Amino acid sequence: MGKADSRLDFRKTRRRKKLLRLAQTLAAILVTLVMAFPLYWMFITSLKSGKELIGPTASFFPTDGIHWENYLKVFEQIPFFRYLFNTIYLTALTLVIQMGTGILAAYGFARGNFPLKNTLFILVLGALMIPHQVTFVPIYILVANLGWIDTFAGLVLPTSVSAYLIFMLRQNFMSVDQSYLDAGKIDGLGIIGTLRHILIPMCRSSVATVAFVTVMDGWNNYFWPKILSKTEQTRPISVGLVMLKNSFEQSVQSQNYNVVMAAVLVSMIPVVILFVLNQKNMLTGYSKAAMK
Amino acid sequence: MESFQEFLCCVPAMALILLVAYYPIVELIRISFTDWNLIRPTYTYVGLTNWKWLFETWQYNHVLNSFFATLKFTVGHMVIILVAGLLMALLFNRMSRGFSFMRSVVFLPHYVAMTSAALIFMVILNKQYGVANVILEAVAGIRVDWLQTGSLAMLSMIVIASWRSVGYDMLIYLGGMQGISRDYYEAAMLDGASGVTLFFNITLPLLAPTTLFLVVTQFISSMKVYAVADVLTAGGPYRATEVMVYLIYTMAFVDFRVDRAAVVSICFFLFLLVVTALTMNVSERKVNYDA
Repeated sequence: MGKADSRLDFRKTRRRKKLLRLAQTLAAILVTLVMAFPLYWMFITSLKSGKELIGPTASFFPTDGIHWENYLKVFEQIPFFRYLFNTIYLTALTLVIQMGTGILAAYGFARGNFPLKNTLFILVLGALMIPHQVTFVPIYILVANLGWIDTFAGLVLPTSVSAYLIFMLRQNFMSVDQSYLDAGKIDGLGIIGTLRHILIPMCRSSVATVAFVTVMDGWNNYFWPKILSKTEQTRPISVGLVMLKNSFEQSVQSQNYNVVMAAVLVSMIPVVILFVLNQKNMLTGYSKAAMK
Repeated sequence: MESFQEFLCCVPAMALILLVAYYPIVELIRISFTDWNLIRPTYTYVGLTNWKWLFETWQYNHVLNSFFATLKFTVGHMVIILVAGLLMALLFNRMSRGFSFMRSVVFLPHYVAMTSAALIFMVILNKQYGVANVILEAVAGIRVDWLQTGSLAMLSMIVIASWRSVGYDMLIYLGGMQGISRDYYEAAMLDGASGVTLFFNITLPLLAPTTLFLVVTQFISSMKVYAVADVLTAGGPYRATEVMVYLIYTMAFVDFRVDRAAVVSICFFLFLLVVTALTMNVSERKVNYDA
């Protein structure tokens, strides 16, 4: 009797476990759908006709035909590729300067031993608490005095150095065993060689992660370019998209949401490509960075 | 000095940090004692006039309103992403292709720029034609004006920002959970602990460093929110979403009162500094780094 009971118990718990797993799967699918919904809505809106957009119901599929020409309207409405190029150029410039100065500084702080090292490093940490969104007024005046309004130099300046990047890479460079560096020294590696052949390869996923964060920040940058970019020569896509929305009169804005959504979608393509290429590295890199 | 080369390595970055972080702080302090107006070419020092303005006209100058709007946004945003991020980490913590794919989808909004996210939700939340109201009407029989009602506009802002960042928090929590040794769970299960007990007595305390990392890094990025308020509501309705950065921007580049903007910037900066310092201080004493 006791034996049969326990077998029944066992079966019960197994069934309960199976049910729990099923519930977990269903809940996960539901959450995923909710999270994906705004992106789906963007896509579906970009294909609808203007007439359908101001119709009485919001349907989950285009009912008034599929209108790919909305995508063409984007290019008529704003110099889309010019804006996109500006964003890419700006992001690349920021990445190069931030990584260049940041990797060197991270190396200096991780491996050097000089007077005032700790004081200087505290200054780096302090800079984490001084976003340019707080100090943009003096930076703007500085940039204006330099004659850098509406130039890429001016756009890059506030984000030309990243305390976060220096901090993260310093932690990683410190964790590399000294014996590797000694071996490198015997082979005659200088600082650049040590970084290129030992430290950066050994901290590859962290370097990739901070680089990715820099790229994302550059891509999303809106506040500073909005202040500084006066012409389409430097205006990035983030500001361009908002201008596209504002280029439609308030009264007809709703029926032109399809064009706005088409523009938003196209502007996301480069980032999504990066995401797909780099997915595995990213997902582990982020959590590793947090653990340090 | 044997590390002279290493010192040189730090020079470019340090020079830039001094230029774009510390020099502006000093400048802000200096400007706060002037009557600098961007329309006029010259300015004079006027002592404490701007500081007096800040404290004596606090009922009319909207600084406190912006401060509380920013705080509301930050607290709402952080509570949502931390709690939902942790719950989603528990939910999505299974190693299979399907779950891996779903994790990627949940993380995807993180790649959507804040301005793009605001534009997408502007379509969804549109009062007349937006799908949010269509669903709400079908379920509850009412329609609301999401972006023109103060509390709802703030809520919309919080939801949009959370949609973008919750996947990131989930990912960081997942990483933290994988760092917890299985031994703790096995020992506790031998003692007959239930799943809930395991969560509150092992998972949650051992994730404290992860939580701290998220709080410290996301506090400042929440406080400097701007894009979503600018695109979605332009600070409205009736200044309900006029966050600090938006206010400072308006003062400096719409009213051209750089002097007053400087005073507000300094106060904003001091607040960030104090809260971050306090968080770090608490963390050193209370957080369990044993995981």
